[in-house]
Amino acid sequence: MDVAVRIPAEFHNFVHEENVLGRETWTINLGAANASFFTQLFGYMFENVIVLGPDEDALDHTFDALVEPTIEGFEFSVPNQSKTDAFAVWIRYRMQIFDSLGNNASTWTVSAYGKSQKEGMGGSKSLQRAAVLAMRDAAALILLQMDKSTKIGELADGPLDLSEIELSAVTDAVEGDPVSFGIFAIGGIDEDNE
Amino acid sequence: MKITSNFITIFLSAALSGCVTASLENAREESTGLLDGESVVVMAKSYHQGNETEAYYIECVEKALGRGSGAINVIPNQQFVDNLFPWFEPRTAPADTKGLVQLMGRPGVPEAVRSMGVRYIVWLDGETERVTQGGSLSCAAGPGGGGCFGFAWWQDDADYEASIWDLSNSEAAGTVTVDYSGTSFLPALVVPIPLIARTKSKACGGLAKQLKLFIVSDEVA
Repeated sequence: MDVAVRIPAEFHNFVHEENVLGRETWTINLGAANASFFTQLFGYMFENVIVLGPDEDALDHTFDALVEPTIEGFEFSVPNQSKTDAFAVWIRYRMQIFDSLGNNASTWTVSAYGKSQKEGMGGSKSLQRAAVLAMRDAAALILLQMDKSTKIGELADGPLDLSEIELSAVTDAVEGDPVSFGIFAIGGIDEDNE
Repeated sequence: MKITSNFITIFLSAALSGCVTASLENAREESTGLLDGESVVVMAKSYHQGNETEAYYIECVEKALGRGSGAINVIPNQQFVDNLFPWFEPRTAPADTKGLVQLMGRPGVPEAVRSMGVRYIVWLDGETERVTQGGSLSCAAGPGGGGCFGFAWWQDDADYEASIWDLSNSEAAGTVTVDYSGTSFLPALVVPIPLIARTKSKACGGLAKQLKLFIVSDEVA
């Protein structure tokens, strides 16, 4: 399967800065490490991967699916806040999948968590470890669940049949069910269904 | 001269340390043993299961297992986790031997384990906590000098449990439990004299010693 990955500029340069309880300012730079981590991950998951620049037009390339990861949310807690000895990091990624014609095939939210016990005087090393663990958690989820949650594999057979999608959306609306196409949430790994 | 200074250093560090009490227990379920080329990996139980074992403690046990008398081969934790990604991440690691059996049935997993020569996984659970503290100590400094006066003390408890899984048959071989309690004192009469109980370090050394005995012994309870 040929997959294109477009890393947006905001993802590549992601820096989170927060002032905790008006006392300490923490700066977390996920940017370059995060981008190279995702590029590596997709390189492992798919046979052929093209990495597109943020401003590159995807339609200039040939692929079965285009994946665009974004960071939707980033939160952390330090021992002062949690009243424990641990640093914790939560990262919420949004993975948008497009077919070869640029139609939005699905959107998948991946919620990742990392925690590290405080060691030493400062804590920046522990916070960094918690962030790395959260990124690894996301990578594990993507590796194990992406196909099941986004059905990206089906795009290898060709782009979406838009008439089918529109018909299904209309049917759902008539029956009064919310249209849930393309929206998925993570609740853990169901290994039995692997 | 050098021998004398070493002796003084050892004497002072022994004399100027707090007191530590220890209790160690083994519970064996299967016979164990380690052949040439077989190794052990030390892991922290997942924090998703409420475990808070410190990364420092894992490293300490790894180092202590790999040196001294009865040293055993230890594969660094990070190397093992990276080679088996994503199966030993906190979210995906098997929580019990039933999960281990399933995991060892996955393509590529037994091969990766064999290529590293890992025979046992030691899962550590537990932490070192400050359970109580008291006393008071104050320090002051002025143009003519400074000093401290008072007395402070604190007690740390290090409770750790190591579950040993044998990957050759995907069975739990048993558990080793250590419970160390240490009280440190800090009297100060102008100059503070710290009498520190190295509770966590002692718990690390004690656990590693018991694990070496447990793993190389082939007794069945």
